Amino acid sequence: MSSLLELREKLRNFYSRNEAYLLPFVKFLLALLTLNVLNMNLGYMTKINSPILVLIVALMCSFLPMNTLVIVSAVFVVGHCYAVSMECAIVIVGVFLLMFLLYYRFSPKDTLIVVLLPLCFGMKIPLLMPIVVGLLCGPASVISVSCGVVVYYVIKYISANASVITSLDVDGSVAKFRYVIDGLINDKAMVIVIFSFCVTTIIVYIIRRLSIDHAWTIAMFVGAVTNVIVLLVGNLMYETGFSVLSLVLGTIVALAVAKVFQFFVFNVDYTRTEYVQFEDDEYYYYVKAVPKNTMTKSRHTVKKITSVL
Amino acid sequence: MLSQERIKLMTKMAAYEENEGKKYMSIGSYFRSDYMGMQVLGSIISASIGFLLVCGFYIYYNFETLMQDIYKKDLLLLGKQVLFYYVIFVAAYALITYIVYSFRYSRAKRSLKRYYRHLKQLAAIYDIEKNKRQE
Repeated sequence: MSSLLELREKLRNFYSRNEAYLLPFVKFLLALLTLNVLNMNLGYMTKINSPILVLIVALMCSFLPMNTLVIVSAVFVVGHCYAVSMECAIVIVGVFLLMFLLYYRFSPKDTLIVVLLPLCFGMKIPLLMPIVVGLLCGPASVISVSCGVVVYYVIKYISANASVITSLDVDGSVAKFRYVIDGLINDKAMVIVIFSFCVTTIIVYIIRRLSIDHAWTIAMFVGAVTNVIVLLVGNLMYETGFSVLSLVLGTIVALAVAKVFQFFVFNVDYTRTEYVQFEDDEYYYYVKAVPKNTMTKSRHTVKKITSVL
Repeated sequence: MLSQERIKLMTKMAAYEENEGKKYMSIGSYFRSDYMGMQVLGSIISASIGFLLVCGFYIYYNFETLMQDIYKKDLLLLGKQVLFYYVIFVAAYALITYIVYSFRYSRAKRSLKRYYRHLKQLAAIYDIEKNKRQE
């Protein structure tokens, strides 16, 4: 444990020393990953499918605010959808506009969740996001989580039905438009996942705020179990076709990643908890103080041995 | 001579100005009514665009049915219904905006109050140091 703490301290120090270079590099990697995943899954517009363009845009994103990546990703999705059909692009633009106009005016920082959630879906660990959001953000962030799920299912739907949408040419544009809208509205799997993630986020948020020992760990496990139960019940009710094995495996991996995340963000020693009581003119205070696990830098002592010959 | 207390205070204030203070100072530069009015107005515009968008989608989706029934429908009544839904939607959204931003404004003011208290402390420390030097 002490070596892990030492490693954490080293990483922290490394980050604080090189923040100016590391942050743009992380942004660059995230942009590169996001745009490549989009191009791999959609990739209908050849003009924006080129790796050189992706590289240039990713480099651009690395020096601009994080929200630029969200806008660039939205432009890429709309571009690919436009290559499938104009109606498809109209629906996507509408969905994105509604999200940005009605919710992201309030919390522009939450937009990153919309990018990260589809990536987590791609890595088969979508549960990671509601857990992390529940641990770090407020209850209002369930809207961001829901938006992320919608974006993922929109991309998935278009990727799976692009050929059908293109073949609807003879029936006119209204038929295409209705096909896309119907497909999105009637996607029961999406509704179940949104419901399950919202419940998970709120449960994790409520439990981690409790004044109990190991609140974060309990919150993660209870959230994960709730998520699995809600998804399985939803699967039984609406036959959405979730694979139980991949769901359980994804949950275990997501929990493991969330534990690593907890190690870096919230690492406390409950064995040294102190309870303090005091009062002032207006209040009585019942304070529970939990010390953080920290590791002081190991000092190397140099012993000088001088021998007299 | 360096004063440890003054340096601590200055570091704390510089960190504040760099991070959350930047946001709060821009909020604090407005009067409450101006700030709230600006945000609510922005919300009304956003909600109106959102409502128009949803209406446009609805019309396009049901284009054939609407075209067939357009002569059978009481257009005035339809207009009134749409206006009713519009007002309800925009009012609800503006109310949420008002609550959220009034909370944010008071939080910013509280935070700035602390910052100004630190500024006063800093000025007092400077005065003490100046007096000491003169003595």
